[in-house]
Amino acid sequence: MSGNAAGMLSRHGSTPFPADKGRAAGAPAVRRRTRHWRRWVTAAVFLLPAFVALLMLRVVPTVEAVTLALGDGERVGTWENFEAIFTDPLFTGSLRTTLLFGVIINPLQIALALFLAVVLTQRIPLVGLWRTLILLPVAVPQVVSAIVWLVLLRPDGPLNSFLERFGMPSVPWLINPRYALWSIIIVCSWVGVGYWMTFLVAGIQEIPRSLYEAAEIDGAGTLRRFRHITLPGVRRQLLFVLVADTVANFLVFAPVRILTQGGPARSTDLVMHNIFERAYTLGDLQSASAATIVLVLILLVVVSIQFRLLPGKE
Amino acid sequence: MDNTTLRESRAGRRAMFIAVPVALLSLAPLFWALMSSLRPGREIFANLHPFTLRTVFPEVWTLQNYAELLSGNFRPALINTLVVVVCSVVGGILVASLAAYALAVIEFPGRTAVFGVMVVSFLVPFEAIAIPLSSTFRDWGLANSYLGLILPAIGNGLAIFNLRQFFLNIPQSLAEAARVDGLGYFGIYRKIYMPLSRGALVGSALIIFVFQWQAFLWPLLNSPSPRMRVATVAIADFAQESGVDYGQMFAAAILTAAIPLILLLIFQRQFGGSMATSGSKE
Repeated sequence: MSGNAAGMLSRHGSTPFPADKGRAAGAPAVRRRTRHWRRWVTAAVFLLPAFVALLMLRVVPTVEAVTLALGDGERVGTWENFEAIFTDPLFTGSLRTTLLFGVIINPLQIALALFLAVVLTQRIPLVGLWRTLILLPVAVPQVVSAIVWLVLLRPDGPLNSFLERFGMPSVPWLINPRYALWSIIIVCSWVGVGYWMTFLVAGIQEIPRSLYEAAEIDGAGTLRRFRHITLPGVRRQLLFVLVADTVANFLVFAPVRILTQGGPARSTDLVMHNIFERAYTLGDLQSASAATIVLVLILLVVVSIQFRLLPGKE
Repeated sequence: MDNTTLRESRAGRRAMFIAVPVALLSLAPLFWALMSSLRPGREIFANLHPFTLRTVFPEVWTLQNYAELLSGNFRPALINTLVVVVCSVVGGILVASLAAYALAVIEFPGRTAVFGVMVVSFLVPFEAIAIPLSSTFRDWGLANSYLGLILPAIGNGLAIFNLRQFFLNIPQSLAEAARVDGLGYFGIYRKIYMPLSRGALVGSALIIFVFQWQAFLWPLLNSPSPRMRVATVAIADFAQESGVDYGQMFAAAILTAAIPLILLLIFQRQFGGSMATSGSKE
C-alpha cells in the first residue's frame, strides 16, 4: 500500500537541501564542455533503469488506457465508451456509492484521528504502547484484516454474539444493504484511523509547549487551546492527511472484494471494485479504461479543491 | 504538587480513559484471530453463543493449523510471495539507488526537472493504472510470471525520493577525496554512498517490501493461474471456498500479518540512519 510509504516520506522529507557546489572555476572552456557532456552521459546511464521502469509502468499504461477508452476496437477517437458508462446505471450507481462513502468516511476518519492524536499527546503513562496498539492494524495486509472482519461480522459471528450478551440486538452487518456500506466504513477506519493519527501526533509534538502554558495562564480552556493553538499548529499535517486519506478512500478495493463483492444489492460497489469487475469478470477493457480515466480525473479535481481550501503556509 | 502538574495529571487521567479502551478495541480483532488460529478449526464456532471467555480463549491449544497450512496449498503461495518480495527489494533498491545517486550527486543540466517528473509520475496511485497495465503486460507475455509480479515494485518513486534526500546529506568532500584517489562515479556510488546509507536503504527496502507484501489487486489481475498465486490471494480464496477450514484460514492470516511485523521490529533501529560523518566535518 502506498500509505505506509508516505510515512517514510514525512520522515525524510524535511532534510534540507545543501547548497549546490559551484562548478570548478578557471578550467578551459573546451575541457569544461567535454566534462559537461560526460557528466550528462554518466547521469543518463545511472537514470536509465528507473527511466525505463517509468516508461513501462506509468507512461505505457496511461497511453493504453486512453487509447482503449477512446477506441471501439477498430479505430481510436470516439466517446462511445464514456457514453456507455455514463448511461450504465451500474457505473453511475457505483460513483454515487463512492461519493457517499467518501462524504462519510473522510470526515469521520480525520476527526477521529485528530481527536486521538490530541488524546495521545497528553501526559499518559505508557503512551507509546497505546499509540503502537492503535497503529497495529495498518501493519497487517488489508486482505488479512478484511478476512478477520469477514468472520467477525457474520450474522452468527462473535461481534453479534458480544452485542447480544450485553442485551443489544444483533446487526445484519454484511447482508443488509442498509448496513453493508457502514461495515466497510468500520473496517477501513479500523485500519486507517491509527495510521493518520500518527502523522497528526507528529505535528502536535512539534508545537512548542510554551504556547500551551501561556494560554493556560491566560485562562484558555481545553477547547479554546485546541482551536487557537493545536489546530493552526497541525495545519500542514492536516492538509497532507486530508489529501492522502481522500485519495486512499477513493481507491478502496480489497475490503469490498473480500467482504461483500459489491453487494448486497450493489450497496457497496465502490468504483475500484466496479472497474475491476468490468475488466476482470466482464472482460470489457474499454469501458474499464474509460472508468479508470473518470476516476483519475475525479481524484485530480478533488485533490486540487482540497489544496485550495486549506492553503498551508509555506 | 503545584497547580499546573495537578491539572496536567487530571487531564492525563482523563486521556487514559479514552486511550486504553481505544487501544484495546484496535487490538481485539487481531487478538481474536491469533487465538482462533491456536485452536482446532471446529472449536471456533462451537463457543460463540453465548459470548464467554471460551469464545475468545481456546479450550485446546494447538499448532495443528499452522502445521497443516504449511504442508498444504498455502505453502507454494507463501513461497511465491517470498520470491517476489526478495527480488523486488533487491532489484528495486538497485534501480532506485542508482537513480537517486544521479539525482543527488551528478550535476547535469535539467536535474531538477528530471527529479520532479520522476517523483510526480510515480506518485500516481498504482491501483489507478493497474488495470490498463495488466492488459499491457498480457500483450508483452508477462502475465502469470514472476517478472510480471516483480516489475511494478521497480523504480519506486518514494524509494528514489527517500534515498536522494539521504544522499544529499552525505558530505561532498568525501566524494571529492575519493575522486582524487582515482574513483569514478560508479566507484564512489559503490564504495562511499551505498555503505554510508544503510539506514536509508533499509527504509527504502521496507517501502518496497510493504508494497509487495500487501499487494492484492495486482496479483489478482496479473496472475490468475493458481500456480502463481501469492499469499494474499490465497487467503482471499480460502475465505471464498465453501467448507473452509477456519482454523487454517486464521493461521494463514496470522502468518501473513506477523512476518512484516517481525521484520519491522528487527529493522526498527536502523531507521534513524546512522550516517557516518566521522570522515569529514561540515
